[in-house]
Amino acid sequence: MRGTAGLRLNVRLRLLAPDVEDKWGMNVDDKAFEPKILGFLCNWCSYAGADLAGVSRLQYPANIRIIRVMCSGGISPHHLLHAFQKGADGILIGGCHIGDCHYLKGNYMTMKRVKFLEGLLKFAGYDPRRLRLEWISAAEGLRFAEVVREFTDQIRSLGPAPTFEAVPGMDAHPSEAFSGRGEFTV
Amino acid sequence: MDTKIKSLLLEGRVDGFWGYRTMNGFPFPRLFTKENANELEPWRPTVARYPVLKLLLREMRMHSDRTYGVLVRGCEERGLRELFKWNQLEPDKVIVVGQACSRELADWCECRKPFPDLLDYGEPAAPVTRSRKVEALQAMAMRERRGWWLTHMNRCIHCHGCRDVCPVCFCTECSLEHRELVSGTKLPPDSSFHLVRAVHMGGRCIDCGLCEEICPARIPLRSLYKEVNRLVEEIFDYRPGVDEGMSPFTFPGDELLLPTR
Repeated sequence: MRGTAGLRLNVRLRLLAPDVEDKWGMNVDDKAFEPKILGFLCNWCSYAGADLAGVSRLQYPANIRIIRVMCSGGISPHHLLHAFQKGADGILIGGCHIGDCHYLKGNYMTMKRVKFLEGLLKFAGYDPRRLRLEWISAAEGLRFAEVVREFTDQIRSLGPAPTFEAVPGMDAHPSEAFSGRGEFTV
Repeated sequence: MDTKIKSLLLEGRVDGFWGYRTMNGFPFPRLFTKENANELEPWRPTVARYPVLKLLLREMRMHSDRTYGVLVRGCEERGLRELFKWNQLEPDKVIVVGQACSRELADWCECRKPFPDLLDYGEPAAPVTRSRKVEALQAMAMRERRGWWLTHMNRCIHCHGCRDVCPVCFCTECSLEHRELVSGTKLPPDSSFHLVRAVHMGGRCIDCGLCEEICPARIPLRSLYKEVNRLVEEIFDYRPGVDEGMSPFTFPGDELLLPTR
């Protein structure tokens, strides 16, 4: 019995413990890397699509952790950034196809937000490919499995997400454009 | 400043006027009324900038029946328009007197419109269309840029100064104070703190730069929000502070403002 408990604890720790990182926040032991992907799926389309993938016994990687939301338009960028901060390697947002939203226009909002957030992440120095928006309807179980497979492969090739925390030794490169930005006096 | 504003006050067209008064050699924002109208000074160009709109908004929330006048720069005029659009102020309760910024200030701000449309005082300076700072950041490699931002954000002392001084941060409840999402005890706060604020500035930031000026940690926030503005213009073809149109992030979304993939 002790052996099983120890094993279970070990598995738990493996999931919870942060991976070994170098000073740039890169994973040193790449072989052990299993992407942690967070999925925000809308209740009416994508979640039902994922359900269909399940009951159809379709195979897709177990790297995705799904959070069901009532509408993809209800996902605040705050939640997405918080997830990245807490160490998500990739985020998949699933919503209804344009025009099919249960709340008529919720997914327009998602589309605008994600498009904007991609640009912002890029400017902050994060790869926008870690954030992915897909329209998956309730009938597209096959497509859901396909998207998760494809996205997991992509994140696996991108490697672990860089840290959101400042790391000692990581210096702000002095830029000429910012020099002399002292007090502006009369 | 004295004659025009004095006549506004004495004729009773405005109940109060937010102008500036020199104290100890520095201009300070001050609310002039009929009673202290003789304290008004002649206009002179300054580089001193204050969150006048924040003061105006606070005053108007307390006395919604009064009419106020305000001396604005180009950025403050853009801010006023945004506040009108977001239904925070009533356009017919605000009377605007405009002043132009000096060329030095416009260059330092990299301001695209350093003068208001209604110009009463000063000569309009030439607009600066390119931002050297944003271009320098865009030229960096992605990893280098991440290090650059993280090092700056690491100095944050979580004072909320950038939010408190911002003329378009008018929400009475702020998601940056949500304790489930932003820890109240961690210092420096999560770097997502600044990115969330940047998201909220989308379609709203009027590029006044008060956030960067007030920041005790000297985080170059203005460059972040300048890029936010550039993105909003590139994706949605919307520039905050213009007369017509609404922010693309208003709900429900307008189909016309959908990004073209």
